[in-house]
Amino acid sequence: MTTPMLEIRDLHVRIEEREILKGVNLVVPKGEVHAIMGRNGSGKSTLSYVLAGKEDYEVTSGEVLLDGQNILDMDPSERAVAGLFLAFQYPIEIPGVATMTFLKAALNATRKAKGEGEISTPDFMRAVKEAGSQLNIDSDMLKRALNVGFSGGEKKRAEILQMALLKPKMAVLDETDSGLDIDALQVVSKGVNALRDGTRSMLVITHYQRLLNHIVPDVVHVFSDGKVVESGPKELALELEAKGYAGFDGEKAA
Amino acid sequence: MSLVPVRLGPAETTLIAQLHAVGAVAEAERLAAIGLPTRRVEAYHYTDLKQLMRAVPELADDPLAAADVTVSPPALSVAGAFQLVIANGRVQKHGTAPGGVIVGASKGGVLTTRDDIVTRLNGAFATDALTLELEGSVGPVIQIDRRVEGRAGHSASAARIFVADGGSVTILEVYSGSDEAHLSNHSTFLQVGKGAKVTHITVNLMSAKATHFATSEYVLGEDANLRTLIINAGAAVSRTQAFPRFAGPGAHADVTGLNLVADGQHADITMDTLHAVPHTSSKPLFKSIARGRSKAVVQGRLVVARDAQKTDAKLMSQGLMLSDEAEILCKPELEIYADDVVCGHGSTCGQLDDDHLFYLMSRGIPKSEAETMLVRAFLAELIDPIEDEPLNEALTDVIEGWLAKA
Repeated sequence: MTTPMLEIRDLHVRIEEREILKGVNLVVPKGEVHAIMGRNGSGKSTLSYVLAGKEDYEVTSGEVLLDGQNILDMDPSERAVAGLFLAFQYPIEIPGVATMTFLKAALNATRKAKGEGEISTPDFMRAVKEAGSQLNIDSDMLKRALNVGFSGGEKKRAEILQMALLKPKMAVLDETDSGLDIDALQVVSKGVNALRDGTRSMLVITHYQRLLNHIVPDVVHVFSDGKVVESGPKELALELEAKGYAGFDGEKAA
Repeated sequence: MSLVPVRLGPAETTLIAQLHAVGAVAEAERLAAIGLPTRRVEAYHYTDLKQLMRAVPELADDPLAAADVTVSPPALSVAGAFQLVIANGRVQKHGTAPGGVIVGASKGGVLTTRDDIVTRLNGAFATDALTLELEGSVGPVIQIDRRVEGRAGHSASAARIFVADGGSVTILEVYSGSDEAHLSNHSTFLQVGKGAKVTHITVNLMSAKATHFATSEYVLGEDANLRTLIINAGAAVSRTQAFPRFAGPGAHADVTGLNLVADGQHADITMDTLHAVPHTSSKPLFKSIARGRSKAVVQGRLVVARDAQKTDAKLMSQGLMLSDEAEILCKPELEIYADDVVCGHGSTCGQLDDDHLFYLMSRGIPKSEAETMLVRAFLAELIDPIEDEPLNEALTDVIEGWLAKA
């Protein structure tokens, strides 16, 4: 058996005294797209932040292996250059940091980790332009400060642009569909699907089955009360949509 | 005047003797009577000169008279700038002035009637004043280097600058000197003519042992436009004062400043703006970055006269603390006598935003680089408006150099 791209073993996480993740087990093999569906407050976003290495969370036990390598002791930048990418549910606005400066710094950090030299400005411009055109990102948007004044849809497209440039091994998409209208959803999904290449893995976190019509997963996991309660083929998402989460975890809707 | 005689410290005693030596008897008597300001004097609340000034060095030598004193190049140079030098308070020879620039020198200090101890001491001790008359659109940056040379000395320097109606110019003043415990006190009087556009930048790169005072007084004519940028990066103790006075309607000023303080430093930017006539606007913006055990002070006062209707003024001060032992102190004051104005102030102080840092790092940018990006972002508002490219780069280098020392 080959090493999975992502393996989460009995992951327990708390914030202050409250346990949020209560023993998550999840395996995403190379090249597969998995979806995590769950109601609000089930711990889905916590899982994405813990994978990316946000400081506010305390991992009390468990392991997270990225391509066989334990990443829990790495800081967020080390995880990123190791090949992990989180598309944020709410991308952060950073006034004063130019989008292009940021993209170049991120790209060069990734290249440096691979032992490659800094990208030349013309090559960089070309790469951004090419990736941007597929996502309907114009140069005006790129001239602004990072995510500042971007609409909800623009922010999500900018996240996918970053993913396209950084070419991660493992991408976690946290509610990438939230705040998107149908047209924007199609653009974003197209961008994501273009990055499915048979080796890159993805973990798509969402509330709604809707996104999974566009980004069709190989496996669907149902998440409830801090752990995976059911896993199955993509049809599981439809079943979930019909029965509601209560049909899986027995709890009433929050 | 106080009935209880003040106890004078060694710094005051030396200053009084020096004032007598230069014939400033009235000033000497006044200082003997009231002493240097303490924190009980509101304008010096955070910069208690009686505490901070322990000793005053001897009056500085005239570099032309003292054979062992040589004038070194400034700590900052800008390509293409026209350079003028004042060393130990004495105006030095200069090269051929560019078009629209008339350089002269006169006796005495700066043109002021301001009742402020630093300004009064400058007036008493400054022997020469550099005078500059500027007309039309002056191409090169005018750089005035205020050097303090030789052994530790007390010196005062002055410049009087007049920008003609419709003129435009960028003036850079750099304070630097030998690595000694100097006491230097510099002043600038800058009159901005009708419709003129002036950028005035002052950079304090004094020795880490020095005590540094600099005061700029501005008079803005009708429709004049002024941008200032104070950068405090040097000296153990510094106090930089900006006193803009709006004398003509339609005038606008962006008074900005930056304190960069590291371990052991105390830097104070104090602004006192007078909106004396109707329809003027100002947007003071100050930032401080403090690390180690240091103190940065920003005081900003907006005074709006009774007749100065339609004044639009917004004062902002932002602090970034890079250590737990750093202190950033901000004091805004609004004194408004008119009833139809828009005036406000705001202040923020904190550390780098964790969410910002996490986002940058989540894209692979190492922590130290992410921090530098965020500090640069914090400062962009101050540096970006400086249009002259070599000057913008030189100022960026000063800041990057300071950041790199962390």
